[in-house]
Amino acid sequence: MARPGMPLWAADDEIDEDFQGVDLSMAIGNYGQNGLYDEVQSRIDEAALLAVQQQMQQQAAFAQIPDQVKRFIVHFHQAVLNNNLEEITVAYESGWNRLTEKFYSKTEWPEAEIIAPLVNDDPIFLILYRELYYRHVYSRLQPNIDDRFHSYENSCELFNYLLNSDEPVALELPEQWLWDIIDEFIYQFQSYCVWRSRVKSKSDEELILLQEASSQGVWSAYSVLNVLYSLIQKSKINEFIVSQQQGKSEEEIAEIVGEYGVRPLYRMLGYFSIIGLLRVHTMLGDFTLALKVMENVELNPKAQFTRVTACLVSTYYYVGFCYIMLRRYMDAVRGYLSILNFILRMRQYHTRSYQYDQINKTADRMYALFAVCNALAPSRIDDNILSTVKEKFGEQFTKMQRGEDGISAFEELFLYSCPKFISANPPPYDDPDALAVYVDDPPMEPAQRHLGLFLSDVRAQAPVPTLRSFLKLYTSLDATKLANFLDADEEEIVQQMMVMKQASRNVSRVGGEKGLLEGSIRPTSDLDFVIDENMLHMVESTVGRRYAGWFIRSTENAQRVLDTLKSSPLPGPGKSAAVQGASGATEAPRTGGPKVAWGGVKVA
Amino acid sequence: MASESITSDWVTPSTRPELIESLVSGVDRYNPSNVSILEDYLYHQIRSQEYDCLANLAILKLYQFNPDLYNPDVVINILVKALTSSPFPDFNLCISLLDDRPQTSHLDEPDPLPQLLPTLTTLHSLLHQCRFPAFWALYQSDELQPLRDNYTVEVVGFEDSVREVAVRAVQSAFTRITSTRVSSYLNLPEGSELEEYISKFGWTLDSASGVVSIPPNVNNKIESTVVQENIQLPQLAKIIGHTAVTV
Repeated sequence: MARPGMPLWAADDEIDEDFQGVDLSMAIGNYGQNGLYDEVQSRIDEAALLAVQQQMQQQAAFAQIPDQVKRFIVHFHQAVLNNNLEEITVAYESGWNRLTEKFYSKTEWPEAEIIAPLVNDDPIFLILYRELYYRHVYSRLQPNIDDRFHSYENSCELFNYLLNSDEPVALELPEQWLWDIIDEFIYQFQSYCVWRSRVKSKSDEELILLQEASSQGVWSAYSVLNVLYSLIQKSKINEFIVSQQQGKSEEEIAEIVGEYGVRPLYRMLGYFSIIGLLRVHTMLGDFTLALKVMENVELNPKAQFTRVTACLVSTYYYVGFCYIMLRRYMDAVRGYLSILNFILRMRQYHTRSYQYDQINKTADRMYALFAVCNALAPSRIDDNILSTVKEKFGEQFTKMQRGEDGISAFEELFLYSCPKFISANPPPYDDPDALAVYVDDPPMEPAQRHLGLFLSDVRAQAPVPTLRSFLKLYTSLDATKLANFLDADEEEIVQQMMVMKQASRNVSRVGGEKGLLEGSIRPTSDLDFVIDENMLHMVESTVGRRYAGWFIRSTENAQRVLDTLKSSPLPGPGKSAAVQGASGATEAPRTGGPKVAWGGVKVA
Repeated sequence: MASESITSDWVTPSTRPELIESLVSGVDRYNPSNVSILEDYLYHQIRSQEYDCLANLAILKLYQFNPDLYNPDVVINILVKALTSSPFPDFNLCISLLDDRPQTSHLDEPDPLPQLLPTLTTLHSLLHQCRFPAFWALYQSDELQPLRDNYTVEVVGFEDSVREVAVRAVQSAFTRITSTRVSSYLNLPEGSELEEYISKFGWTLDSASGVVSIPPNVNNKIESTVVQENIQLPQLAKIIGHTAVTV
């Protein structure tokens, strides 16, 4: 360990440039190590002995911490204390990750108690440190039951600190971190629900702990929702958004949102909590409520709260998924198109960030959902996105066009891309008999239940692709004839036609609606039909030839060439004769070689 | 029935009282003691042939978080009401919120839901797949007697509401349809009863040919359209600007 007075250059071979100015001796301070040891020597008290042993363990652990890490922690702490947002961002985004890769890629960071001396036992910083510590455990390692309970306690302490203070806290944190706090909180909740539902692998001790925990409301749905709603209410984020949309002035807004709402920390936490609610409600299967909480939020990549890309991507993913479960496939397609294009454009800015993987994974799921929506409500779409979808999911894409045969492809893509559904209630840990029944005959997993509902929607539309392929060939067709083609009963065909009509009408937003649940019924398909007693009449809407883009580009090209020619220097007299000669040779028309035919398409 | 009003009415029915509106849209919906207000509102909907999807989903959400509030009769009534909303996704939304194994220890009688749920699901898929004759056949069969006697008989105008589902489907797909077909979809015998019922929607029966004519609406009036490209001036700005400079 770095002893007081020891020069920094002797402590470590690699000097971390950023933190070179930090003097460890000042930071550690007088922790009373020497004094305590002397005292204990004179009293043989078991409790004190244990305390000393623990302290020695801590000191030993402390000694093992590399100096680079110690310097980082001190620097980080200073930045947080000074509310130096730039420094905090650097430390949070690159410093922490760099050191994790270097020293802690397979183990935990040192526990908060061990590094406490470096930060003078600052409780707020330790809470933030623990937030990062547990996030690391959940992502790189396997959290055990203690980790899960302690991370919950830490989150509660953090939110308690933020929400139950007399006045807004003076803390300032980067937006990315604020989003990660909420995101991680929900992720840990979902991870806990999944883990909790696996009864078989639990030891007896764990069972007892689980029983206690659920009676105290640890990681209960209510407490998670409570946190999110409280943050929203404290920051008055909905009022803020509404008054912004109404174009109120800064002073008026400040009055409406109150002393908490004006601080960026609270405002961003409030906004991220709205997205958090969207996510939690979707995971619990309440799709309408998920969309309802987003009532005031404008879904638009250029809108105000979009500086954290991960948040934006997450929002679009969940909103699109809710639309799919509401059978509003056109709305889902529209959302996914715009966000996937956005991700493609933003890709170049994000390659270095650790969120890159996460964003890409969500993008893949969205491509899958896009393929599903396209199969259920085909329409003309962006070639760019379509080609990527075919690349990733080409096999399923073709299968899904085949109606009943394609159900397995739908199932595959749904399970691949659906959110991690959870059930609101734990297994009956407090009742051993019920628990035994639960183990022998477990209830259906939430994901399977939602899959079943989705597949019933798909199945209802199964006859449509075949029908459509027939109808495309005719302008009018007798229903009996169609029934003969398909080897089916005429009445059955008529009913399937009604289904097809139903399927071709989706509820969709047209713009200008308030809230995401509103919309009106719009046709989705370019093929429409009507039944006159027994005769079907079809019409198709077509797209006129699009020539503008091609002509504009070619014109601009020609202009460019002309400009270049005009501005380039004329060749000299001698050279020009040679150029003339050469061009003369090439200008003579080709007399040999195969003839080139410029005919139209030959009609058979 | 304008298509716009269907959706906004679905989100916020004009018949929803203010108290319910504040419950549905606020955080009080999580308070277990409010469940009886919502349940009473459900019974009001049943008696007065009204329907409020989001309020009923709020009841199911309270059951989701408070298993000891679970009341199977309420759930069955909600599902019955949701049947009449086809092709809206209401029925599936309700199922999404149901617990696979609800707690039944607090109930006085055995839980009727496990037997009835598969039946209700079948009825729903028949409606969703527009198989109306099959729906009526199943609905009127002997095995569904418990459902009819204990539940749907209480729901005022249940059969008429289901007929309206069929009416909506027929209206959007047909300009003319034989009265035999209509009668099988609506489960009304051909003749004066059928004629009276369909005249409510403006349909007319030509007794000579036995064909019902459906007035044109936005869905059964088809016309082919050509989507023309819409060239905007800004797209041409660069070309025009360039020519201006060089001239």
